Amino acid sequence: MKKYNVVVNGETFTVEVEEVGGAATSVASAPKAAPAPAAAAPAPAPKAAPAPAAAPAVTADGCKIESPLPGTILKINVTMGQAIKAGDVLLILEAMKMENEIVAPQDGSVKAISVAAGKTVQAGDVLLVI
Amino acid sequence: MSREAKLATLAEKRAKILAGGGEKRVAKQHESGKLTARERINALLDEGSFIEIDQFVTHRSPDLGELPGEGVVTGYGTIDGRLIYLSSQDFTVSGGSLGEMHADKMAKVMDLALAVGAPFIAINDSGGARIQEGIGSLDGFGQIFKRNTIASGVIPQISVILGPCAGGAVYSPAITDFIFMSKQGNMYITGPAVIKSVTGEEVSMEVLGGPHTHTAISGNAHFAAPTEDEVFNQIRRLLSFLPSNNLEGAPICECNDPAERMEDILLDIVPDDPNRPYDMKDIIVALADNKDFMEVQENFAKNMIIGFIRLNGMTVGVIANQPQVMAGCMDINGSDKAARFVRMCDAFGIPLLTLCDTPGFLPGVAQEHNGIQRHGAKLLYAFSEATVPKMTVITRKGYGGAYIAMCSKSIGCDTAIAWPSAQIAVMGAAGAVNILDHKAIKEAADPAALRTQKIAEYEDKFANPYCAAALGYVDIITEPEKTRYYLIRSLETLLTKKETRPGKKHGNIPL
Repeated sequence: MKKYNVVVNGETFTVEVEEVGGAATSVASAPKAAPAPAAAAPAPAPKAAPAPAAAPAVTADGCKIESPLPGTILKINVTMGQAIKAGDVLLILEAMKMENEIVAPQDGSVKAISVAAGKTVQAGDVLLVI
Repeated sequence: MSREAKLATLAEKRAKILAGGGEKRVAKQHESGKLTARERINALLDEGSFIEIDQFVTHRSPDLGELPGEGVVTGYGTIDGRLIYLSSQDFTVSGGSLGEMHADKMAKVMDLALAVGAPFIAINDSGGARIQEGIGSLDGFGQIFKRNTIASGVIPQISVILGPCAGGAVYSPAITDFIFMSKQGNMYITGPAVIKSVTGEEVSMEVLGGPHTHTAISGNAHFAAPTEDEVFNQIRRLLSFLPSNNLEGAPICECNDPAERMEDILLDIVPDDPNRPYDMKDIIVALADNKDFMEVQENFAKNMIIGFIRLNGMTVGVIANQPQVMAGCMDINGSDKAARFVRMCDAFGIPLLTLCDTPGFLPGVAQEHNGIQRHGAKLLYAFSEATVPKMTVITRKGYGGAYIAMCSKSIGCDTAIAWPSAQIAVMGAAGAVNILDHKAIKEAADPAALRTQKIAEYEDKFANPYCAAALGYVDIITEPEKTRYYLIRSLETLLTKKETRPGKKHGNIPL
């Protein structure tokens, strides 16, 4: 028999707890670590909002062109270092039975090509960096 | 006091109020690329039409000094000769902060706008609640939100964000029908400093709540322009498409563009290869009177196009899939965008034209987990609920639930027109064959050949407008270039359309 003091709303109750079975039961009935009061729980950092489809994520490393849809790269129209203008078709992504044109959101030059023709990509995958 | 002295007192008091926050603050406002509250009103309204009311209202706080005009200018005037009520916050007076009487002034013009049935425009340029007035300011926000809600669907309400609009203040624009932003406009619930202290994220005001963010990412704003003058031009153009209230029709323009005009571009705009995209906006422009199309939310959810055109002088709200973006798939944002637009048009008696070319709802875990079902349902609900004339043109793909959602005959379209290129079916050929002929293909000597054959058979049988037309789901199959003619004739017949719904308090749209 063990004695515990339990405080409920500032009022103290003395309770007796009897240990009944083997180890398993005793573990199950053992008081768990008191959960931190809700107020003190650290606010979970909100996840960064997912980048909108095909929205250019401009970083110090350049503007990343992301895939708006899951699909297959059909054709790449540009080469490394090539100068491009906003609106140029960079590559063709076949998705939802459509040859989707992925166009440059801004002027620049091709800094990296992360995919090859025939490759399958997921929505949000980086296709190119300009 | 003599009569002259009394007039002099009035002139003196009025001059003080008209000067706003004084020369220094006005100069600062101009330096930051912004007009003053009164300059904005004069730039927006017809010249000399503005009548100011409540000029002499003052706050009741003992903790505050003199605040000329209470930091907001209110009154009425005309745009293209049509009555408009408006408020314009004065950033030069206490940062345009909203106190009890400031809100009272706004509430009064809103009540007047609602009573007489004229649009209300709120120009926002304010640091937020006037802290010195405490809960009185908060009550002021509540008074405005409540009026925005009650006026919703009765008079067009337009919010114009030409400076900061922070904290609770954003909920007034969010309730209104249209939000315009200038380059200096910012909207956020909590500013960069608070965000940094709570989540550690570092973000600029511009990236957090600037015009690009709200027109392209969040979808909160409908229009943006670099300068205030351009914003005012957009507002005047928008109002030309809208009625003054829900009981009046939209203005009818004189139309010199013949209904019979045929555009060659429509002949071959839809590529023979169903896998090739095209720009749906070319079709909208070709159909519109004088090729005039005012797109709404141009940069948000570009897979769904919404906006206004006129057909034979009458305003029509257009909802269209954009095959050029995301293959014209419907998704959460596209459904939200279109559904709200449909309800706005229905509220103000604006007929609807839907252009359908969609392969379906966008497949994916993210879409399902983020609630595409309830968001997609909004569009079905909005079209089903709308009692205005509804016309639909199926230019190419109309597959599955997405076809039904794009104002199909089944959910109440009055005139369904299909082009010969239309493919109206439960699903695309490849998908259907995979299900229907799964076993036969698996057991065939040459599975690939049989699959190709089955796909061709399915396409022959189902990928056309004739199956749907045979059941009456399509009223007219026409050569594309005759579409404008059929739409105008149809719209004319539908103007007297009456559709009733069971009496109820309101429906329960899945929000």
